[in-house]
Amino acid sequence: MSNKAPARSGGLPPAARQRPRADLAALVRKIGSIPFEVSETRTDVDVRIAPEHLLALVDALHNRHELAFDYLRNISGVDQSPEGMELKYHFYSFKTGYALQVTVPTATGHPHVPSLTGHYPAADWHEREAAEMFGFVFDGHPNLRNLLLEEDIHIHPLLKAHPLQAAEILQGIESGPPGFTI
Amino acid sequence: MSIWPDEKVLTPGEAEFDTVDMTINIGPQHPATHGVFRMILRVDGEVVVDCEPYIGYLHRGLEKLTEANDYRQAMGYWDRTDYLAGMACEHAYVMAVEALAQIEVPERAEYIRVIMAELSRINSHFLFLGAFGADVGSFGTSFIYAWRERERIYDLFEEVAGDRMFPTYMRVGGVAMDLPDNFEQRCRWLLGSIRQGIEDLDGLLTGNEIFVERCRNLAPMTSERAIALGITGPILRSTGLPWDLRKAEPYSVYDRIKFDIPWRPDLQGDVFDRFWMRLSEMYQSARIIEQCLEQMPKGGLVLNPDLPKTLRVDNGEAYIRYEGTKGEYGVYAMSKGGNKPYRMKLRSPSFCNLSALREMVIGSYVADAIIILGSLDIVLGEVDK
Repeated sequence: MSNKAPARSGGLPPAARQRPRADLAALVRKIGSIPFEVSETRTDVDVRIAPEHLLALVDALHNRHELAFDYLRNISGVDQSPEGMELKYHFYSFKTGYALQVTVPTATGHPHVPSLTGHYPAADWHEREAAEMFGFVFDGHPNLRNLLLEEDIHIHPLLKAHPLQAAEILQGIESGPPGFTI
Repeated sequence: MSIWPDEKVLTPGEAEFDTVDMTINIGPQHPATHGVFRMILRVDGEVVVDCEPYIGYLHRGLEKLTEANDYRQAMGYWDRTDYLAGMACEHAYVMAVEALAQIEVPERAEYIRVIMAELSRINSHFLFLGAFGADVGSFGTSFIYAWRERERIYDLFEEVAGDRMFPTYMRVGGVAMDLPDNFEQRCRWLLGSIRQGIEDLDGLLTGNEIFVERCRNLAPMTSERAIALGITGPILRSTGLPWDLRKAEPYSVYDRIKFDIPWRPDLQGDVFDRFWMRLSEMYQSARIIEQCLEQMPKGGLVLNPDLPKTLRVDNGEAYIRYEGTKGEYGVYAMSKGGNKPYRMKLRSPSFCNLSALREMVIGSYVADAIIILGSLDIVLGEVDK
């Protein structure tokens, strides 16, 4: 049969390889007009930007042909209390091979960030997860219900203030820190 | 034409019925969902109109537990994410800690890690072939064929690490202990057995016309759409884009090893291509293991000897991408000093692949929805964390 499965490699289209970080930092700085800071983590170039400018930055990252970030890998919340919370977005470009991290700090008590579901459908579940685990509000998300947690429970387990044994405390097996309520 | 001479046969245009959409609940306890996954289908007759996946039944708070534990203690939780390929998950986790703490790994340990991770990949793909065959209707035959090889791989894991599914064999800075003396011989014998097993399943499934007809042209997907939905791994490669993190961003010793990304000019990302991609990848994993056995230093350390008793890590952050068995297994790690991670986030490939399920099943038949779910090859430990 023609469906037999030995590996073939003839006529393979080119796949993107990772590109150096230094080039990317220079390209990102060229975007201009939006205030942001560029630094480096152990693995990626990092762009730090306020939530109100996020959509403008993502527009540029998504649409400029020299960047062309077509793939949203990951969204990760971080509780930086007492300084508020941060979101880490990880992008990758299949066209150019660049990888980028975007950090969006939010103010204490106002965890509002625009939703990226318009640019990246992949953002849907990532944002729902960050919303339930940290209490982020993604403005413009079509369906911000709980995903991993129960539908009617409103706790944010990954906040540093949330005790590890919350479930046991609720069941009366462990005693919680003073003043802790769910 | 009717068998009753007087009966009028209605053509589809003439027959008009009021139809009502029906809601069908599948799962969470249902064998076809491969774990505790639930989906609610809205069907018009036999055609799926809408699908709402519900996950989280296996949520164990992996990330919270990791924050509460020492860098080394936390590793035990990570091979319980993709529990079909525990070694690969451990590899990704220790790579993340090593990137944070800038720890070097002895060469022999790197080769051992790659051998174990690739055996895990073969193991996981065997489960897919067996379970997917059962989904499509080969009943238990493909399952039992796949189990023969899986048992042998697990036997080898047990000999090397002391445990079958959750080996906890990797260590930050190397691996727990050196390989047993007869490992190379046993591993070579196992590779022969694995190749025979793949060929058997290939003959059983790919050689079966019913199977092929059932899977061809079902839920095809373009590369652009797959990227937008965040799909990675064999499903992305089955759309015709040969992107594999082991080649695109080589880690460990993959840059010294020759292997191909399986590719055909007529790949269209349908259910059959996903099956074909995983089947073909298994031969490549066997090739990788063979080269590792040849290139591996015959002796030497398997664990970095300069590590302190308590691992303290300076401030920093890293995002490790690892070609897991289901796709891009990403670990975002952040440290703020001390012996515990400040934040560890798992970007789980099954989670992201599953988020595309709704789009794939709308418009298909109910019976095909089960096959499409099976072709995603999700593992709920990884979806729910």
